[in-house]
Amino acid sequence: MNRLVIEGLHAGYGAVTVLRDVSIEVREGEFVALLGTNGNGKSTLLNTVLGLVKPTAGRVALEWDGRSVDLTGLAPHAIVREGIAIVPEGRRLVPTLSVTENLLLAGSSPRGRPAIDDNLAYCFDTFPMLKERRAQLAGTMSGGQQQLLAIARALMCAPTVLVIDEPSVGLAPIVVGQVFEAIAHLQETARLTILMAEQSFFQAVDVASRAYVMSHGRIIRTLDRADGAIDHAEIRRAMMGVAAA
Amino acid sequence: MILELLANAISTGVLLGCIYAALALGLAVSFGLLHIPNIAHPVFVVTGAFAATVFNAMGFDPLLVSLPLALVFYGAGIAFFEFYSRIYEKRGESDTMQALTLFFGVSLVIETVLVMQFGADQRSTDVDYVGQSLTLGPVVMPYRLLIPALVAPVMVTALWLYLKYTYAGIAIRAVAHDERALSVSGIDPGWIKRHAFGIAAATAAISGAALVIVGPIDPFAGRMQIGRAFAVVILAGMGSIPGTLAAGILIGVTEALVGAFGSPSWAPAVAFTMLLATLAFKPSGLFGAAR
Ligand SMILES: Nc1ncnc2c1ncn2[C@@H]1O[C@H](COP(=O)(O)OP(=O)(O)OP(=O)(O)O)[C@@H](O)[C@H]1O
Ligand SMILES: [Mg+2]
Repeated sequence: MNRLVIEGLHAGYGAVTVLRDVSIEVREGEFVALLGTNGNGKSTLLNTVLGLVKPTAGRVALEWDGRSVDLTGLAPHAIVREGIAIVPEGRRLVPTLSVTENLLLAGSSPRGRPAIDDNLAYCFDTFPMLKERRAQLAGTMSGGQQQLLAIARALMCAPTVLVIDEPSVGLAPIVVGQVFEAIAHLQETARLTILMAEQSFFQAVDVASRAYVMSHGRIIRTLDRADGAIDHAEIRRAMMGVAAA
Repeated sequence: MILELLANAISTGVLLGCIYAALALGLAVSFGLLHIPNIAHPVFVVTGAFAATVFNAMGFDPLLVSLPLALVFYGAGIAFFEFYSRIYEKRGESDTMQALTLFFGVSLVIETVLVMQFGADQRSTDVDYVGQSLTLGPVVMPYRLLIPALVAPVMVTALWLYLKYTYAGIAIRAVAHDERALSVSGIDPGWIKRHAFGIAAATAAISGAALVIVGPIDPFAGRMQIGRAFAVVILAGMGSIPGTLAAGILIGVTEALVGAFGSPSWAPAVAFTMLLATLAFKPSGLFGAAR
């Protein structure tokens, strides 16, 4: 089975441990949501998957097409080259580069390079707004536009698994809807495998096939659409109940 | 008469300014784009000049031989950057004072090595065109200035095109802004910085050859150029490559005019005055994007 697997992961910052024994998996074609309120370790988990935070224990591996690549301890750019692309918290675009340049930067990494022209055309087809604004500096775009650019940039890396960290942060509700639509559309049309952290869980849950609920650095619940509809009230209880405790 | 003096002052200023731009071009990359205060860059240039004299003594044209030398300097620049980043950047936040101290120390070491190898005397090159001039009406341009001056627009154009249109160039323009933005794009920021620093060092081989055609130099010739090189980069606007040429020429012409109509002894103060004025009134420089 093709999947991204995270096993027994512990990670933190200096003396502070944030993640405690986190194990999750993301199977091919799945849209997995990682839910949790502020400060429960969602970004820490995603950043550890990308090598931006170093784990103290556990492993991250990409098992795909009969090959198992251990990602634990690799540098972030090496992990991206293995096929994990991220839309990071805060987007991390280069504000002084144009839209096209931001896309080409990611597209020129060894993994995306062979198909860079096709990938760029695909991004411009998928997000016509980016095509219209291709010469605009990324730093001068609105938050929602930047979020779409960050998603397109991740696509330029030709990812096997797309990791998205809270795409709704700082966006007006209507823009959040548009961003989620774009992600759901991508997932359907390109059969992308997605792991997305989110706390505005109503929208997230509607598009996700599975969800993990995270609290205080642990996974406290797993919800699977295959077990029946994912119950909003139940998730709310899981997220809020523990957050309040 | 006065017009002739003016025309010649301007043309000499333009030619000198081009040479200043060539000297500062590597600094425009290391300081302007990478934000590394490489005060050793002028000494790199002097090293390039001495390398050119060695091969010129064997009968090679200094500018032509500087092209293969640039490759050697590129490699040396990468090795040196690796050393620098191991020592300073990996300790955490890079500290400008520590970096300045390191580069100052490196300058002294290189100067000492040059003195040990070549003595403290001046060295020069022997090329056919030295001593001849191009005369255009009232303007007389000695080839020993004109030929090296032409190096600057060529290098500036090549570097500008490289930074603007190649994938590596885009990454070099981005790396000082946010290394993590490169990492998540699948680009190794460490490699991009090494590569860029190597390019900065490579320009020193070519600028050094240009410098030693202009006139004889000694191992300490870099010291006089440090202030002027930083003035060019800051007046240009941090990281602006075409701006380097404009700023170099502006400083060169101003120096020549001050020298011709004021007193030649004021000329050395020109670059520094312009540097201070830029910092006071337009810190982003002539062509700098507000960062
Ligand atoms: N760079 C850092 N250094 C030290 N502690 C950090 C750092 N980043 C996050 N933390 C701490 O780790 C914990 C988890 O933070 P994290 O950013 O992973 O949460 P999150 O679930 O993504 O929250 P949010 O929804 O607000 O983005 C928090 O207590 C936070 O204070
Ligand atoms: Mg977060």
